[in-house]
This record gives sequence, C-alpha cells and structure tokens, in this order.
Amino acid sequence: MMSFNFAIVLKFQEALLLGLWTTLKLTLICIVLGCVLGFLLALARASKSAILRGVSGVYVEFFRGTPVLVQLFWIFFCLPLILGVELSNMASGIIALTLYMGAISSETFRASLKSVGREQLDACVALGLSPWVRTTSVVLPQAVLRAAPTLLSNCVSLFKESALVSAVGMADLMFVGQNISNNTARPVEVLTVVALIYFVIAFPLTRAVTVVEQRILKRLAV
Amino acid sequence: MSDTAALVKIEGLHKSYGGVIKVLQGLDIEMKAGDRVVVIGPSGGGKSTLLRVLMGLEQIDSGSILFSGKPYISANGSGKTVIDAKVRRSIGMVFQHYTLFPHLDVIGNLILAPTKVRGESKAVARERAMALLTRFGLAAKANAYPAQLSGGQKQRVAIARALMLDPKLMLFDEVTSALDPELVAEVEQVILQLAQQQMPMVIVTHDMWFAKNIASRVIFCAGGVVVEDGPPEQVLGDPKEERTREFIERVFHIKH
Repeated sequence: MMSFNFAIVLKFQEALLLGLWTTLKLTLICIVLGCVLGFLLALARASKSAILRGVSGVYVEFFRGTPVLVQLFWIFFCLPLILGVELSNMASGIIALTLYMGAISSETFRASLKSVGREQLDACVALGLSPWVRTTSVVLPQAVLRAAPTLLSNCVSLFKESALVSAVGMADLMFVGQNISNNTARPVEVLTVVALIYFVIAFPLTRAVTVVEQRILKRLAV
Repeated sequence: MSDTAALVKIEGLHKSYGGVIKVLQGLDIEMKAGDRVVVIGPSGGGKSTLLRVLMGLEQIDSGSILFSGKPYISANGSGKTVIDAKVRRSIGMVFQHYTLFPHLDVIGNLILAPTKVRGESKAVARERAMALLTRFGLAAKANAYPAQLSGGQKQRVAIARALMLDPKLMLFDEVTSALDPELVAEVEQVILQLAQQQMPMVIVTHDMWFAKNIASRVIFCAGGVVVEDGPPEQVLGDPKEERTREFIERVFHIKH
C-alpha cells in the first residue's frame, strides 16, 4: 500500500525556488525580446515588399507549425555547429523561446494592426505626422492595447512551454522537479507540487486576461 | 506672388479608381483667401474625394493644384502623384467619423502633432491646447478619453486638434453627418466662430441651412465636374442650372 508524503518536497524547497527563478528569468526575457520580434514580424508581414512578406510569412508558419521541442533541440545542438561558437544553456534557451514567442505574438500583433483603421492613418497624414511618428505614437500603442489580452495569453503559454527546456538540460523548475522526483522516487508528490507552482503563477494571469480585455474594449470603443 | 494670387488653384483635376471608376473629371476651381466654399451635390458626385485630394490623401490621374501660388499637388508623366509635404502641413482637415486617437486623452490628441511635427515643447503646446479647449467649452474634458465623449464633443476636439497646427485652410468633410440631430448645432457653432475669424475653409455638407449661413460661395458638384458655382443666394435660392435646381428641390422638398 502506497502513501503520499508531501513533506519530502519541503526538504527541496531551495532547489525548487532556484529552478523557479530560472524559469521566470527565462520566460520574462523571452517575453520582452519575443514581443519586439513579433511586432517587427507583424510589420514585415503587412509591408509592401513581397520579399519581407515572404520571408516573415515562412518564418512564422515554420515556428507555429513545428513542435517547440524540436525547435529547442535544433537551437541547442545545431546552432552552435553552424555558428561555430559554444552557447551557454541559458543563451540557447533564450534564443529558442524568443524565436517561438516572436512567431506566436506576431500573429497577435498582425490581427491588432489590422484593427487600426484606415481612418486613423488618414488623420495622421492630415496632421502631418511622419511615418515614424505614425508608427510609434499612433499605430504601436493602439496595436499593443488591442493585442494585450491575447498577448497575455501568449505569455502564459510561453511560461508553461518553457518547461520543455528541461529536456535539453537547462536547470529550470521542471528540470529540478524531475531530478528530485528521480532521486526520491516520489514522482507523484514532487511533480504535483511542481504543477501547483506553475498553476499558482499562471492562474492569476489567465484571470487578468478577462479584466484587461474588458477595460481595453471600453477605452477603445470609439 | 501678387496679393490677388488665389489661395487654392485647381486645374484640370482628374481622379479615378483603377482608371475605371471616374470620380473627378476635370475640375477647375479657384479659391481666394477670404472664401468660405461649401460644396454640395449628390452622393458619389466627387465632393468628399475633392476634399481628400486637397488634403493630399489621394493619388490623382492628371491636373495640378497650386497653394498660395506654389505647386502643391501634381501628376507627373508616369502617373505618380507628387505632393509637397510642407504645403500639406498648412492645411487642416476634420473627418466625418472624428478619427480621434482613442489611446490618448483630449490633451494628448491636441499636442501630439505640435510636439512631434514642429518640435514644440509640451508645456507650450499644452497651454495653447487648454486655451483652444476653453474657447470651445471643453476645458473640463481635457483629460477625458474619446470614448467618454459625446459625438459633438469629439468633433469639437477634432476641430481643435486641427487648429493646433495653425492651418491656412480648413477642410470639413461632412462633419455633422454622423451626429445625433441635437448635437449638430454645437459643432456648427464652432465652425461659424472660425468663419467669423476669416479662416478660409472648404466644407462638404448635406445641411442646407448651415450651407446658407456659412458659405461665401457655393459649388454644386455632380458627376465629377463643377455644375454651378456662385454666391449662396444664387446657387441655393435661384440656381441657373437644371441639375442644381433638381437637387435643391429634392433636398429642400420644395416644388416650385
């Protein structure tokens, strides 16, 4: 007869917290870099240049259409060979998840860019705004506002998907959890706690999506 | 440039969409600095397109526009429209659907162009903005967002926003068409106020009462050409052309 022993997890709380810190650091960096990349990709996909549209389109479809795990392996093992330089685990993880976040957030931005109407652009021309001011002061803020709810969902996805970096040996929360579970032969308890930690962080964020959505819709309802 | 040079001189203006839908078919209009031109005519007659061309928002097929005697818009040989951006900055436009920036509050909408285009300091721009808002009875709304305003308030903010750039010509494109009837007057009042200050303007409107009160000159535009052009009493009251007469009778519901 098997009994649960959750107390055992407490012994490893420091290791788990360290793993969580790695996960959070990785996720936050990739959210910031990925969103910048995603916005640029969205602009490229809406650009007049067929080359820019083509390249960005292939990029986005490739990263959306292949498993993140395979992308990770690719960056971790093939990229150093191609570049001829050693990459730290963290660097590889950042590159891989940023490329992925760029692809999914670009779709979010693309939809929100489309929602900034032609009339807004007419108003920009009538006010003599340069293309740069138009993009940074009118289009970008509106696109970000409209994209915010979906973007927040993208961030939660990324946070959870980041657990995959454990498969290539990065010491994130998932990796630490697996190690503890192997060493203690208590997979149920340890992995349940790990799942709970992910949930405690992800759940408020998914709730926030609804709140943010309502507030933004009210603001932009013109 | 002599004192009598026209403020706007439109010559042989042609504009089509894809060469198929011909919207403007050879417009010649000369506007003096003191003119308040109201353009009336049936839908699809080219009124709004004319304003959009004047604002530099549209490509043209052929023709040219001079502003204060200087070249402003022309079509070169290869069918490209050349627009002088510097001249364009001296023209302001207000649209039917307000087109305020929803992510900025009222003050933010007003000071964006002056600070970004002219490099004016925020403090100076804010001061000018508050003065304008006070004049238009909107001082209390300075920090409101467009979504919190009524249609009439939005349109007055849009007018103030255009005035922040000290335009030498204002274009109004059916600015009261989207408003509830009880909000029309407050917007027209603001435009009348500008007219009293001798602001040159071109107005497209379906509101004949307003046209009569504000125009120094009425142009009846149909089928992409100027059908009739004259003082309001004549064009609205006793039109010479049969097509103008038919149109006026229909909008005023009068049978002679």
